[in-house]
Amino acid sequence: MVRSGPLPAELRELNVQIEGIARASGLDFFPVIFKLLDARDVNGLAAYGGFPVRYPSWRFGMEFERLEKGYSWGLSKIYELVINNNPTYAYLVNSNSLMEQKLVMAHVFGHADFFKHNIWFKPTERQMVDVMAAHGIRVRRYIDQYGTDQVEAFLDQALALDTLIDPYLPLREARQAGGPVATPLSPLERAKRSFDAASGSRAKEQGSVPAPARSHSPLDVLGFLAEQADLCEWQRDILRIVREEAYYFVPQRMTKVMNEGWASFWHSRIMTRSLLGPADIIDFADCHSGATASQPGQLNPYKLGIDLFRHAAERGEDLFQLRAVHNDVSFIDALVDEEFARKSELFLYNRNARTGAMEVSDRDWRAIKAQLLASMAGGGVPQIELLDADYEGRGELLLQHRFDGRELQLDQAGVTLSQVAKMWKRPCHLLTQSEGSGLRLCSDGEEVKRIETAENPEPEGDSDEQRQAS
Amino acid sequence: MYRIEQDRSRFREIVKGRLRKDLRKYLSSSELLGRRGDKSVSIPIPQIELPRFRFGDNSNQGVGQGPGKEGEAIDGDGQQGDGAGVAGDQEGQHILEVDVDLQELAEMLGEELSLPNIEPRGDRQMDSEGGKYSGIRQTGPKSLRHFRRTYDRALRRVIASGEWDPLQPKVIPIHDDERIRSCKPVPKPDSSAVIIHMMDVSGSMGREQKEVVRIKAFWIDTWLRSQYNNIEVVYIVHDATARIVDKETFFHIRESGGTKISSAYDVLLEQIREVYRPEDWNIYPFHYSDGDNWSARDTEKCITLLRDEILPRVNQFCYGQVKSAYGSGQFLKDLDGALAHDPRIITSSVEDREGIPGAIKDFLGAGS
Repeated sequence: MVRSGPLPAELRELNVQIEGIARASGLDFFPVIFKLLDARDVNGLAAYGGFPVRYPSWRFGMEFERLEKGYSWGLSKIYELVINNNPTYAYLVNSNSLMEQKLVMAHVFGHADFFKHNIWFKPTERQMVDVMAAHGIRVRRYIDQYGTDQVEAFLDQALALDTLIDPYLPLREARQAGGPVATPLSPLERAKRSFDAASGSRAKEQGSVPAPARSHSPLDVLGFLAEQADLCEWQRDILRIVREEAYYFVPQRMTKVMNEGWASFWHSRIMTRSLLGPADIIDFADCHSGATASQPGQLNPYKLGIDLFRHAAERGEDLFQLRAVHNDVSFIDALVDEEFARKSELFLYNRNARTGAMEVSDRDWRAIKAQLLASMAGGGVPQIELLDADYEGRGELLLQHRFDGRELQLDQAGVTLSQVAKMWKRPCHLLTQSEGSGLRLCSDGEEVKRIETAENPEPEGDSDEQRQAS
Repeated sequence: MYRIEQDRSRFREIVKGRLRKDLRKYLSSSELLGRRGDKSVSIPIPQIELPRFRFGDNSNQGVGQGPGKEGEAIDGDGQQGDGAGVAGDQEGQHILEVDVDLQELAEMLGEELSLPNIEPRGDRQMDSEGGKYSGIRQTGPKSLRHFRRTYDRALRRVIASGEWDPLQPKVIPIHDDERIRSCKPVPKPDSSAVIIHMMDVSGSMGREQKEVVRIKAFWIDTWLRSQYNNIEVVYIVHDATARIVDKETFFHIRESGGTKISSAYDVLLEQIREVYRPEDWNIYPFHYSDGDNWSARDTEKCITLLRDEILPRVNQFCYGQVKSAYGSGQFLKDLDGALAHDPRIITSSVEDREGIPGAIKDFLGAGS
């Protein structure tokens, strides 16, 4: 586990003080537990997506290597990590200056409030630290039983497909179940489920494995495979583990701008109104502007987010209401207007076909807004749905990329499709578009064929209901 | 954070597996040059990511933030722009650099080209690096007293003198019983070597030829470093005259001029005579050129120098010829003609980068 000591007295006092200010400002959160770590341990945690114990994978090691390199070259530094959990864990880096620790703590309470109240986070597992640890134990057990190579290969295969989920599914399910979403399990119940899942079939009869119910969304290809593909029990379990963790992380992807914007809005407000001494002010301004700096041609979620919340505050909207009901797409849709685009100096850029350089092409706010929304739809990953599980009566899978103008990277798509085919153990097909015409990729797990198709995939805009009906 | 260390080492294993698989590619590419530290090489590993369904790069547009009029170019390439808002948790296409131990890289090279380990030249041995306390003497500092042996001697003495009483098993060593550990010198094969790279930088050696030389030099260094504890490298460049340069210069120099190979051999010989004496050093000169020499008479001089002065003093002399558009390649023929029978000289000729692994094997395959 993580080597961390109790907070030093100085930070403990700050913790109490800032928590008080945050609550007085209207923020509300699960208990927040701060831990102080050195930079190396924080890099390790960050490589695991914030969780001290996860299943073993070289991918985490690679991420760690990258973070360590970045840190040792002075290119990047992590100030803080916050984990959506009850209690909320927040990790501070012991190399931060005292001013930075103040800022970071204020920032953390913003995130903690967001985790607790944003609707997209409501259905998330709040004991994820324990769940991840249990997943780790299960995967380690499979490794002991079946060997590293086999388990690792399958895990890699499964992880390649972890974007094939329906980001809206958890919330929809929670709504269908009716009433407030989060029904925390007792530790005993949790342990029992974990045990059942690990011990295989018995759990199924009792119907206590949480995962299977979700598989009716066409976008939840991963869920479909986990339940329907011809797999060994341990493989099925790994697929479920990957899927469960993917669903846990989805809201963070969908609310990146809002979440960072909300936390930055509050650290700025708390610092400037209550905490900053005269000696801190320059350092604070430096640090804050570093975090919210915008580079040409890039959107900084911290910057866009804080601008949006400030804009909303100026328009006199209820910020707490906004942070509770939106995700990035609906938030931008609700708030970006002409004035905002002008104040925030948003622009649309295009590649100049002649010079190849990126150029400012438009400052019309409608065009900007349309582009922003398009680029964020689906959390920035291609939406791929299952059209037919018995394509042409041959038991093959037919997938379709919901084309919204952005093409797939075809080589990668081919390789990924092969992973699906390996998992399904039958050939799989993917409909997409490339350079204006329809394209069907077809893989039997080894070879990928590209076939031009006459019929174009349907244009964007269809809703799930229509699809399910058809 | 113990677990992350396990995952990291697993990742490194995978990287090394890749490296091993692609070693041939690296062998003939200049990618690794200049990436070597004292103990490790940092190797750029592209794309070890898992495949995923991702967006390609067809949109060519995005939203940015900042000043600028329409039509004005924006700095930066804006690649991230179309991922507005998700920047930060999108997996980028970074190239990752991984440090690989020089020793390991050399091992891979050895496996790939099936190179034999080098046997130290002759029977020359040096009493290097102290020794081990494996000897026993009767005098010496008490702190090194060998307790068991001392007790053993004392016990024998007591029994032999009839003083042994099993009920009162008291044994008191006296001065004569004492046995003291002593240091025995262990002869070790000498492990100092000097590599002398000589490169023809005359006008006929083009950019590509020099690049080939540099790649070869890199791998040869890597291999020899793994074979000797103490290694020094000397770089000599020559056109019509020769001089010793530092590594940076050697790997980046552009010169032009005539070619007088003997000038380099003169400098080499001077180094062998005055700095790297054969009594103390294993000597590996490497000479690279396109085979064009100024005159037949100078070639004559080179051959005499090699035969009479250089070859007797070195472990192995390697001549690597790189084909160039202008070079005649005559020097290789002359060397082979005059010295082909001598096992201490190895010549090889390389057409282009593809030939590098073969040339390295020629040079290092003899194991001397």
